Amino acid sequence: MVNQSSQLALPLIVLLCGLHAVADATAADRAQADESDYYRLVSVATSEASTDSRSKNWKPAPDGLALEVSGLTVLDDRRVAVAIRKGEVWILDGVYDDPPKNVTYHRFAAALHEPLGLLKHGDSLYTAQRTELTRLRDTDDDGQADEYLTVAKGWGVTGHYHEYAYGPKLDREGNLWLTLNIGMGLTGTQLDRTIKDPPLGYRQGRWRGWGMKVTPAGDLVPVCAGMRSPSGIGANAVGDMFYTDQQGNWVATNSLHHMRDGAFYHHPEALASMNEEDSPIAGITKVPGGIAYPDAVKQFSQLRPPAVWFPYKKAGQSATDILLDDSGGKFGPFSGQLFIGEFTQASMHRVFLEKVGGEYQGACFPFRSRFASAVLRMDQGTDGSVFVGLTNRGWSSLGTAAYGLQRLVWTGKTPFEIKEMRAMSNGFELVFTRPVDAPTATTPASWQMNSHTYLYHSTYGSDEILQRKLAIEKVTVSDDGLRVRLQVNGLRELFVHELFAFGIRSRDGEPLLHSHAWYTLNRIPR
Amino acid sequence: MTGFREQRSTRTPMMDRSTGRTRVVHWFACVVCMAHVSGEPAIAQPESVPFVAGFDRFARHGKIDTALSGWLLLTELSCTACHTATSEEFAPKLGPRLTGVGNRVRHDWIARFLRSPQLLKPGTTMPDVLAAVPESERAETAAAIAEFLMAQQEPFPEIKGTGARPVPHEFWNQGDVAAGRQLYHRVGCVACHEPDQDYETVESKPSPLDQLLEQLDADELKELGLTTAARRVESVPHGDLLAKYSRQSLTFFLLDPHSTRPSGRMPNLKLSVVEAADIATWLLREQPQRTVEPAESTARNSELVENGRRLFGELGCANCHAVTGTVRGAMSKPLAQLDAEASRSCMGAPQTGLPHFLLDSVQSAAIKSALAERARMVSIKPANVVQSVAEQQLHFQLLKLNCLACHERDMQGGVGRYRRPYFETIGHVDIGDEGRLPPPLTAVGRKLQTGWLTRVLQGNGDVRSHLRIRMPVFPAEHVKSLPALLVEADHSAAKQPAEKDVFGDISKLADDGRLLLDTGCVQCHPLRGDALPGVVGIDLQGIATRVHPQWFHDFLLDPGQLKSRTRMPTFFPGGQSQNRQILAGDTEQQIAAMWAYLKGLERYQLPPKIEQARSQDYELIPKDRPIVLRTFMDEAGTHAIAVGFPQRIHLAFDAEQVRFAHAWRGRFLDARGTWFERFAPPARPLGEKQINLPPGVPFAMFNNEQFPHPTFDAKDVTYQFLGYRLDKSGVPTFLYRFGRFDIEDHIQPTDDGQLSRRLTITDRTPEQSPASLWLRGHVGRTLKYESPMSYTSDVGLTVSVSQNGERAGELNGLEGRIEWLIPLTIERKKSIEVRYRW
Repeated sequence: MVNQSSQLALPLIVLLCGLHAVADATAADRAQADESDYYRLVSVATSEASTDSRSKNWKPAPDGLALEVSGLTVLDDRRVAVAIRKGEVWILDGVYDDPPKNVTYHRFAAALHEPLGLLKHGDSLYTAQRTELTRLRDTDDDGQADEYLTVAKGWGVTGHYHEYAYGPKLDREGNLWLTLNIGMGLTGTQLDRTIKDPPLGYRQGRWRGWGMKVTPAGDLVPVCAGMRSPSGIGANAVGDMFYTDQQGNWVATNSLHHMRDGAFYHHPEALASMNEEDSPIAGITKVPGGIAYPDAVKQFSQLRPPAVWFPYKKAGQSATDILLDDSGGKFGPFSGQLFIGEFTQASMHRVFLEKVGGEYQGACFPFRSRFASAVLRMDQGTDGSVFVGLTNRGWSSLGTAAYGLQRLVWTGKTPFEIKEMRAMSNGFELVFTRPVDAPTATTPASWQMNSHTYLYHSTYGSDEILQRKLAIEKVTVSDDGLRVRLQVNGLRELFVHELFAFGIRSRDGEPLLHSHAWYTLNRIPR
Repeated sequence: MTGFREQRSTRTPMMDRSTGRTRVVHWFACVVCMAHVSGEPAIAQPESVPFVAGFDRFARHGKIDTALSGWLLLTELSCTACHTATSEEFAPKLGPRLTGVGNRVRHDWIARFLRSPQLLKPGTTMPDVLAAVPESERAETAAAIAEFLMAQQEPFPEIKGTGARPVPHEFWNQGDVAAGRQLYHRVGCVACHEPDQDYETVESKPSPLDQLLEQLDADELKELGLTTAARRVESVPHGDLLAKYSRQSLTFFLLDPHSTRPSGRMPNLKLSVVEAADIATWLLREQPQRTVEPAESTARNSELVENGRRLFGELGCANCHAVTGTVRGAMSKPLAQLDAEASRSCMGAPQTGLPHFLLDSVQSAAIKSALAERARMVSIKPANVVQSVAEQQLHFQLLKLNCLACHERDMQGGVGRYRRPYFETIGHVDIGDEGRLPPPLTAVGRKLQTGWLTRVLQGNGDVRSHLRIRMPVFPAEHVKSLPALLVEADHSAAKQPAEKDVFGDISKLADDGRLLLDTGCVQCHPLRGDALPGVVGIDLQGIATRVHPQWFHDFLLDPGQLKSRTRMPTFFPGGQSQNRQILAGDTEQQIAAMWAYLKGLERYQLPPKIEQARSQDYELIPKDRPIVLRTFMDEAGTHAIAVGFPQRIHLAFDAEQVRFAHAWRGRFLDARGTWFERFAPPARPLGEKQINLPPGVPFAMFNNEQFPHPTFDAKDVTYQFLGYRLDKSGVPTFLYRFGRFDIEDHIQPTDDGQLSRRLTITDRTPEQSPASLWLRGHVGRTLKYESPMSYTSDVGLTVSVSQNGERAGELNGLEGRIEWLIPLTIERKKSIEVRYRW
């Protein structure tokens, strides 16, 4: 019902719009879309808890299942399986429906101790619990797991809450990968469960802060160390394995790392297990601290820089899962790239990787924000859409819900984005999703670039240090408008290079959907 | 969902008494005019007068003393910034701090605002300062001051992000219109500002009063004394935000209004950065999205800037607006010497040399009345004997800060009639207006302890977590006097007896209090975060640090007497307890007992009904099938697998040491800590008759009869836990490997209250020579012989092993303990039955 006064006002509102159209040269901008025009969120189930996410007395919503998704694996074109934090696995049917009005819920397994991953592999579901990697099977086809078989165990569990175990994810050789959180401030009986006589004096449970793989033969193999809070694991398109870490002590900001034999990343307390049998790391006698990261890399030969740093706040505050867009274009123009979940900001970032000098490095970009809660898990559906598992209990996040499951669907429209950012010997090459407008792109004032690095130290996080503003010397645009080369003076190895492309427009006059990118320039190509 | 629309009255701050809607129309019409005039635009005549919330709501309707209403204008129009008053109460409101205004407010807006404040922001309390200069110099003057103000640059503060505080990159550009619109109508903005006419609130039952108001005409309302209740409360105008702010500057303003407006008239709603960005984006929704705004030119004409700086001081701007590095202009006559009837005045027709306040007749009359009664203004003195000095001072402060927009005190103020639907509960539970609206302040000085009042005013006293509305924060200096004034105005100080004088000795009453709480309170109040299903209300935890003992006593005794129409029922009708079982039905003792219990709530068990509700949520109660829970347990380690059985006998298996570790009877476990607590506390058996099974691994192989039995070593891979399998009835069979043997370990209760364990051992290499394996039957300080295959330990655990053709085994002393070791010969596969009785 329209009341009288608004009817009265109607003609004047029309007049007002007309006025704006004349006065406002950028009227086209008004019609501009936001992220949701390109990637649409469908809520399969989201719930608002009545208590704060950090409340001592946290309670799930009173209306049923606490769908705090901590593991997520797509089963087929109708169903997904999710692990939830209270320790159950549920199978949800009808999750691709749009809107998803008839989703059914079926409990498949229970009594898992804080499972933080879920993977369909062969005829089974695999999940990492606090104490073991478990294989769940339903041998009598009654819809309930009746086998909870221990695939691997043997890492230290002192009883400290922070000792999460994440995974598994599969590599190209059939190994199942796990990551193990470091413990924090162990006390009392927890210390009895740490490594005795640890090298360098660090007290931790066995393999705490390590990346592990379980071979098809069932052997648990330590691979790499120095992780703090490695809540995300994933393979890239060629099957190399990566993990994300989260800002904290020794970890300057969130980061993405290539997991490989003998690599060391951040947190030296993981070295408590250095002298354990099978450890691929040896001989570290000194850990530097309080120095700039590039200097730390020089002094600490086992220290491997992250493939990508996610500058704090700018590119999230708490990185989580890693998802490869393996849909061959069904999820939009970013096929083959990685997507990184973000807990605190309830969002997702996108990562482009390249190999320079045999090592991965690359750039991160904002991708999609405004999920209903903290993004912890992701998996790609058979139609290319991405299921996103949410839960924020114990920490804090944006969003209106405490937990749930959403699906991110590409609308078919191509956003105007920087798709790739490659290092060159004298700058960067950008590849765009749509042709750029050459006049705006070739204006150096359309671009800004800065670089910075971090401190490697035992305190919590690091400011951006040694910041420098870089001049864009020259801009060249390819004939098709899809490639832009930026010639930049003063590139520094092991520094993050921040690009702000605020001035450029697409050929149809649109600004970038996201105009920031951060490239971790570990090596400058020769 | 229902649409909620206000019915508008005609009273607005506009002189033409137009409706709010046509006010907007007028303004746009003016813009249209200006847009079509070439050259120097003619300045249209403003049609509004300053809006002062307390004045417009109460003084215009004769609801407050005329002199008081004049004093309100003298402070809120900042008259006392130039005409000094002697008392602190008459301190001027003052205008925004303008340091940094150059990157907060648009140049064009400043210049236009200076030319005609009321035209650009109808209702503003800013006078027409340019009235002081001749018409011919005004454009130039405005340009100079605007230039000077644009030179006032100050970077926006860096907001630190933490795990607890999400701070998205350039959050001010990430706002969401729909989310902002919802927040604007939910968190408290519309307590003072205008709601969007099309915003739909979720239907809530109108209160009986609202229903009554709907049915009455003006005469009937007057007759019933409901005219005030029925009147629409005017909104504090926003002005043209789009012309004034960028998304960034409005977002930062909403995040911390007091840094630019220290007057606190705009309180701080404790918004997160994203909420602030959302609301700003909603308020500026006509602004193009996502475009990076070109920074306004920072190159300034330094000559003009210096000229502006001089004028800023000379015209008295600096008397109200702080700008780092400027000097206040000359003071005018002190208030005490002002002549209300002077021909030359800021209030009459504009006069050269004076700023001009365009006031209507009601406002002028109020100020004249205030000046006429200035004798009373040394400090506020009662206009009549009914109100104490404290009451008047308090009243004045509540009017200035517009506390009465939300809170009623002594039949005045409270949420205005058409604003109530915006005060929603989370989940839209019906808890009546009493539970849904901000609490009244009538006699609050007698209810709340001073310390608690202080905390609430500091923004740390949120106990109504079920409300969407937020109690905002006001600058400390403007509210610091309130707790003492509330206490004094409510004649509270002398009347607050200590706890022991109200209740006597409460040291032994808490247990009774707990049971009394169970009979009624828990039906409406959560305790310590736990509640009966569906209960929403104020958690009683901490009540003893919030309310006075005497108030607690009086309120429980007869709630209606302290709070009319309260939903709180009386449990003591006629002063008599309805519960004769507890404390012999003694009313005083019972009230004291409830106080005693609530005071120590942190330490005590919850009342039985809440315990029961909680156990329904979190206690694992096996009914038809066993329940398994993997968790941490002190009794079974960090790899514990607890199994609860419907027979009320339960066990815990240690999957690290690979042993049956613990058993108990009765209730099983509470899973809350395992399921929902970040800090992962160990689960504790709830039942009784707990017994630890002997430590150490169950089997050993001995070379050369080597003793002792191996003990557990985390790196000892000769024992390998392989998981478990559930049978059809849900009973787990634990699987593990020891050397060449695979062992299946199945434990479940018997009908006669024992635990029966079946160990099935399979030799994986039967082709090798038969292996000899030892089962550790029992361990104890002492072992009492029961039969050749049964022993009882000193802790009362009897273990019996099925004969199965085996040797009886042997006892082996071991550092003060005795082990009963049974040799087994395994040919391919063997099963052994073991019974546990305790």
